[in-house]
Amino acid sequence: MRDALLIIRKDLLTEFRKKESLVSMVFFGFLLLVILNIAIGIGREVDGEIAAGILWVSIIFSAVLGLGRVLSQEKENRCIDGLLLSPVESEQIYTAKTAVNFIFMVIAEAVIIPVFFVFYGDRFARHLPMLIVVVLFVNLGFSTVGTLFSAITAGTRRNEVLLPLLLFPVITPLIALAVKVTGSVFEEIPYREYSSWLYIIVSFGFIFSGVSYLLFEYVIKEG
Amino acid sequence: MGSSGFLRIKGLRKGYDGIEALRGIDLSLQKGEFLSLFGPNGAGKTTLIRIISTLLKPGSGSVRVMDFDIEEHAEEFRAQLGVISHQSFLYNDLSARENLEFYAALYRVNDPVGKTGELLRLVGLHDREDSQVSGFSRGMQQRLSIARALINDPSLLLLDEPYTGLDEHASILLSGHLRQLHSRQRTIVMVTHDLKRGLESATKVGILSKGRLVYLKERSEVDTDEFEHVYLRYLKGAPVE
Repeated sequence: MRDALLIIRKDLLTEFRKKESLVSMVFFGFLLLVILNIAIGIGREVDGEIAAGILWVSIIFSAVLGLGRVLSQEKENRCIDGLLLSPVESEQIYTAKTAVNFIFMVIAEAVIIPVFFVFYGDRFARHLPMLIVVVLFVNLGFSTVGTLFSAITAGTRRNEVLLPLLLFPVITPLIALAVKVTGSVFEEIPYREYSSWLYIIVSFGFIFSGVSYLLFEYVIKEG
Repeated sequence: MGSSGFLRIKGLRKGYDGIEALRGIDLSLQKGEFLSLFGPNGAGKTTLIRIISTLLKPGSGSVRVMDFDIEEHAEEFRAQLGVISHQSFLYNDLSARENLEFYAALYRVNDPVGKTGELLRLVGLHDREDSQVSGFSRGMQQRLSIARALINDPSLLLLDEPYTGLDEHASILLSGHLRQLHSRQRTIVMVTHDLKRGLESATKVGILSKGRLVYLKERSEVDTDEFEHVYLRYLKGAPVE
């Protein structure tokens, strides 16, 4: 875990110095909220399910922007080789990169969600504690799978195009469940009616954490 | 360590997309030997370095260092390994000191701050320690890359075209560091096109051509002019008697 923490610290230092990923993630998420607000009709009240869809489109699309950067920055000067040549296990690199993606998502969401409440009605803000729980579990699933796929595409020339093409088919069930659960939270549906969906989101995160953790070494190293 | 060698490579083969980059390499080096390996482009030199450094898996054959298989004991082996390539492995957005301290921490170096300062002085970058690497010239980056490779005081140093892009001053500096390491019984394998630099410190010289180690001799047995003639023939692809 010590090595993973060192890599996380290095990545956060680099990002806070350059602010490349976070600024683009937040700005893109904000832009999507504005565009969708105009499309729906400014000031028009939306129901819980539509609001949930808008929120998750903004979060997921902005998160994909950051996802590509976290591993592609290691390709500059072949820094990834520097990591792989050190006595650090590949699994530690995966854990670090997943954690960095998770942290970037949380930071971007800390801006996107309040902006969402401003645009689409502060009545949804009443459900913030449960929304945070859902968001954190979806972040887990997204960052675990996303880190694996960004490692697959980081070595390709068109990685920014290839990443969403490969990633979205895999995470579509996660996004659909996220919308469903968040919609239920916004609609004040009793917890027992949507709890099974939330459990699937949690399972998705943990299953893909395990699978990606095991596969990462084969993905990051040349054959 | 067994008497059979510090680094032992047996029957090493590697293919990519139907092309055999390495076609059965056998090589043995004793501790403290310095091998300079020459060869035309596409001879398999970089592939060999990448396999020894565990960045690439061999197709078949084995690589053993200090009597253990590098695939089975990869982490322990890498803790003893230093690699200098034409790529610096340095983070552009970190300063020289931050880069070295990061690698020192990964290698669990005792007193990483002290070691970093010592190496920055060694490569003459102590006055630029807080500057970001993105502002460094190619020669400065390569000097810092040398410091990075020495951060763990490696027993085995692999160099892949380390003189590429270096000015004369930086080349002399690198040659000096290599001589110093060699005098401290470090085992060194360097692949290069630079005949002069490659021959000056080596204890063994070899030529890799079309994936085969076609020439391997003790440096003391090699006449420089004759070697140059043999090497040029391999570069031209002509058969050598």
